[in-house]
Amino acid sequence: MNDVTGHPADTAVLPETGQPAPPRADAWSLPGPRRKARRQFRPRRRIPGVLVAAVIVAAGIVGCIWAASAALGHPLWNIPHGDFAGPLQSSVHWDDTGTLIVASAVAFVGFLLILIALIPGRTRAIPLASGDESLVIGVPRRSLRRSLAWLVEDIAGIDRAKVRTGRHSVKVRATTPLRDPAGLRENVQAVVEDRLTRLEPLWPVRVKVRLRRKED
Amino acid sequence: MTRHTARVSRIGLAIIGVILLLGAGAVLARSLNASTSVLGNAHAPLLTHGQVQYPTKNSWVWPVVAAASFLIAVLALWWMAAQTKTGTVRRMPLEPDRVHGTTTLRADAATGAMTDELKSHPNILAADALLHGSSTTPGLRLGVTAENRADPRLVRADIENEALSHLRSALELDEIPTVLRLQFSRAFDRHLV
Repeated sequence: MNDVTGHPADTAVLPETGQPAPPRADAWSLPGPRRKARRQFRPRRRIPGVLVAAVIVAAGIVGCIWAASAALGHPLWNIPHGDFAGPLQSSVHWDDTGTLIVASAVAFVGFLLILIALIPGRTRAIPLASGDESLVIGVPRRSLRRSLAWLVEDIAGIDRAKVRTGRHSVKVRATTPLRDPAGLRENVQAVVEDRLTRLEPLWPVRVKVRLRRKED
Repeated sequence: MTRHTARVSRIGLAIIGVILLLGAGAVLARSLNASTSVLGNAHAPLLTHGQVQYPTKNSWVWPVVAAASFLIAVLALWWMAAQTKTGTVRRMPLEPDRVHGTTTLRADAATGAMTDELKSHPNILAADALLHGSSTTPGLRLGVTAENRADPRLVRADIENEALSHLRSALELDEIPTVLRLQFSRAFDRHLV
């Protein structure tokens, strides 16, 4: 499965002199490291997991206290345990709209939780090639966006830049105050592509640049 | 350990989701009169008089409900703890020779030396490191903030060739599975934060 040994790009080792190795242009084609990195940077679903756990803990504690007090004959709250269903008892039927709505809502929540659990989700960081098999490198999307935007804004003639990262693309929207921005778009494209080449992402990243003239 | 946490979260969510979906699905099936012979009449009350009186007539019901609720709360609490733990390694045995006494190393001493080394590079603005997992074969979570104008290949060469190999030799390990989060910042942003 992870047959990457013997791949020419995989065996490239950074020299000791501190000089960087030539960029591995085909780094993204390595399936093993890419899969490993994707697994590593996939969302962990910790926030929904902890939230659901907290709700269940709360419900369990409340239920436990309630049932214990009912067992002792001193029910908390004004729900007589002999008639614990209170108003539900005879007036609510299986085919009532209320029953349907509540059941649908619960089913929807369950469906949502299953989706959250099963959908791999977009990786939080963009994986980069590493020279070592035990090392997984990633740049958080947010940081990459800001980093590229700063680089573009440093180009003479660029006012502001916004960067968006997609699945396989980086979209740059830059504004310029220049009346004749000849070659500027290509310049931006080159700067972003150069940075991405140096980062060596494990994904083929296409760069799209849109340049707008700033309206006064 | 982080992958383990991800599995714990996802499997737990899937189990809860299936329980909710099946339970609500059964109620919906009965509400919509899917099968009267199996599920019963849709127009019947949600709770019959007999069901309401059941706990009063059987004294074991409430204690059992209380115990079950307690068990559910404990299980959910355990699930919560399993999701939030970081599995940080604090001490590492260096010479597991029980006859002549053992040598342990504080993990933060090793990672602190490493992050100090990283921060001494002009291209690296900040670094943090954490060892996690088992104390004999730990994994490393490394966060490095690099100067945006620096060549990322040089930054990575610094990390891969120097800091990581120094940590490996300090801990006497051949391999430390490492996850590196590389971020970029600008030097003057440090004064703003």
